[in-house]
Amino acid sequence: MTCMSTFCVFLHLFLLTSEASSSTQPPLAPITPLKTDVRSIKIELVNPVNLTLECTWTGNQNKLPNITSYWTKDGEEIQNSQLSVQFHNGQYNIKQVQHFVSIVSRSFPSVPQIGEVRDKPIISYMGDSAVLTCKMDDKKPKPNTWNWYRHNGTEKEQINVTVEPHRYEIKNKEEKTETRLVVNNLTEADSGLYSCGAVYAIGTTMSHVELKVIAFMEPLKPFIVIMVEVVVLVAAILLYEKSQSKKKVTTGS
Amino acid sequence: MSSAPKDVLGNKPPDGGWGWMVVFGAHISIGFAYSTPKALSIFFKEIQMDLGASYSEIAWISSIMLAVMYAGGPVSSVLVTRFGSRPIVMTGGLMCGVSMATASFGTSIIYLYFCIGIIGGFGLSLNLNASLTIISKYFLVRRPLANGLAMAGSPVFLCFLAPVNQYLLATFGWRGSVLILGGMMLNCCVAGALMRPVTPPDKWTSFALQTKVEQPNEHNTKIKRSFGKNAKKFLDLSFFKDRGFVIYLIGNVMFIFGAYAPIVFLSAYAINQGVEKYSAAYLLSIMGFVDMFIRPATGLIANSKWIRPRIQYFFSFAMVFNATCHLLCPLIKSYTFLVVYAAFFGIGFGMVFALIFECLMDLMGSQRFPSAVGLVTIVECFPMLLGPPAAGLLVDVFGDYKYLFFMCGSVIMTGGLFLFVMNIYNYHMLDKEKAAKNNKQGPKDRENQDQANASEVEMEQTEINGAQQDVENAETVEI
Repeated sequence: MTCMSTFCVFLHLFLLTSEASSSTQPPLAPITPLKTDVRSIKIELVNPVNLTLECTWTGNQNKLPNITSYWTKDGEEIQNSQLSVQFHNGQYNIKQVQHFVSIVSRSFPSVPQIGEVRDKPIISYMGDSAVLTCKMDDKKPKPNTWNWYRHNGTEKEQINVTVEPHRYEIKNKEEKTETRLVVNNLTEADSGLYSCGAVYAIGTTMSHVELKVIAFMEPLKPFIVIMVEVVVLVAAILLYEKSQSKKKVTTGS
Repeated sequence: MSSAPKDVLGNKPPDGGWGWMVVFGAHISIGFAYSTPKALSIFFKEIQMDLGASYSEIAWISSIMLAVMYAGGPVSSVLVTRFGSRPIVMTGGLMCGVSMATASFGTSIIYLYFCIGIIGGFGLSLNLNASLTIISKYFLVRRPLANGLAMAGSPVFLCFLAPVNQYLLATFGWRGSVLILGGMMLNCCVAGALMRPVTPPDKWTSFALQTKVEQPNEHNTKIKRSFGKNAKKFLDLSFFKDRGFVIYLIGNVMFIFGAYAPIVFLSAYAINQGVEKYSAAYLLSIMGFVDMFIRPATGLIANSKWIRPRIQYFFSFAMVFNATCHLLCPLIKSYTFLVVYAAFFGIGFGMVFALIFECLMDLMGSQRFPSAVGLVTIVECFPMLLGPPAAGLLVDVFGDYKYLFFMCGSVIMTGGLFLFVMNIYNYHMLDKEKAAKNNKQGPKDRENQDQANASEVEMEQTEINGAQQDVENAETVEI
């Protein structure tokens, strides 16, 4: 939300938490005012809030007694925000109060990101169990619950533990800061992209993890190659030595 | 080779020829021994996630491996003196390979402690001891160079294993990587195959000249009898009566206590000073890279006729140099200077490690070296395990890394100065004893002194003085 930013000297943000119907909570202290050159502010929210935006303008050379103000969102004027503002005490005070239940989750990147993001795939073996972990930073708010999803092509489906209790286990930590998905009895089909979602009142934030399942033969092949190389070299060295000593014995000192 | 003087023992170390293949084998063996515990740390995060253990629990794997590698010294010494180096290194390589392969199936952290830590560590201890021993058997005149080249295996293999381990981890996960690492360690068996025994007893009589036959046989039986006695004792505590040995041991304990902590905490210190994570990791690579070249270079310098007789002083100098680097480190704030520090640290560290076993060989002589090194390594186990945690404690208590560097620097400096001063005293006492003995006994009895302290140093002096011409000729012709 911006008031006509070229004229805004101060933009105060007042946050009022609103839990359902109770509105008896006192307003929180204002966040520090934004200067004219600050174009955006990031607020992290967990639950829906009532947000008050206040714009203060000290006016220009022509100090008109009243002006008409309006607010814009994403560049478009908000309906019914046009107000006549008086010039009082050397400034115009322009205010807008909104219930930001739905707007907040779209406008502000308010949902915390998951702390532990793996850029490399987790590699596991067939028949083994794989553990996929998602952690939320301790300093960030705790999610209400966690969900795990499995990507099938372009779609993702939620993993339901009750459907296949032997295959999947979801273990969440007491404090809800960490979740673990255990996939038992891995097969090649289990390879793919998995997502964990941290569920909050305003939305779910996701993080992705790739699982690769390989057969045990895969690392065994290089191992056997190296073993063969070792045996060949050892045999070669010992045979060379034997032939050398035979030569010395036959030719004499 | 024929122009060199006949030495007292009768079995002259080849000092070249097949010896260089032996150095190559020792290079591989020592390389795996020192670099594997460090290179394993690349797998720790994955293992931690898979087995659900805490980071400190996982980090114990490396510590146990290093501790067992050093603690297994005496047992390894006994086996080496009994069976010779070759079968021991091959057994060690096999043990390491098998230990890693079985570890790849592990499902609990205790299983990994046992497989990688204890069995793997013991295999490495066999490798280390036997490789050092065979160098002392093959080389005398060029021994510092051979030691420098062999000890260079540690940084070379670390530089090589680190990216290889990263690649393996990304391709096969930690289980496959540990399996393949075990396979690579089987190459220690190849290294062992290269370690041809110097004087195979049955072949000695068939090609030695007649004049040489009686003397060496006499000495061989004498030596065999004394080996039998020593082999029965796992810890030959009579070494502690040897003044030179005790001095060496004290100095080394102090060095080891302060040596590893800066390596462990260098990245953390750099990040603390505001350096970015990847650049901080580069510091250790720089140190390793410099180390790679410094070790053989130090060996070469130590081999020169000016330094060789005073090698113990050169060793003290290396320790003092290392200490000075650490003491100056807290003054460094910028990244460029941290790079310079890492380079100088690499130089100091490399110099000390190139000489660390050479000096022991110099003091003990090739017969007593195997048992001596076993005793030294088991004693060094304690400062090695206590050093980094003690330093970490300092960092936690004071909240500042500079005390870590002050502590390490001052401990190493004390060790270096102690060695310097005590060696002056030791050489002085040895000269006095030699003069006293020369006055009492005749020159013929000198041959029986090969069991005593002064003999090795004296022998080397005469060898060096007499073989100087040989060395100069050989260096221009060979390698």
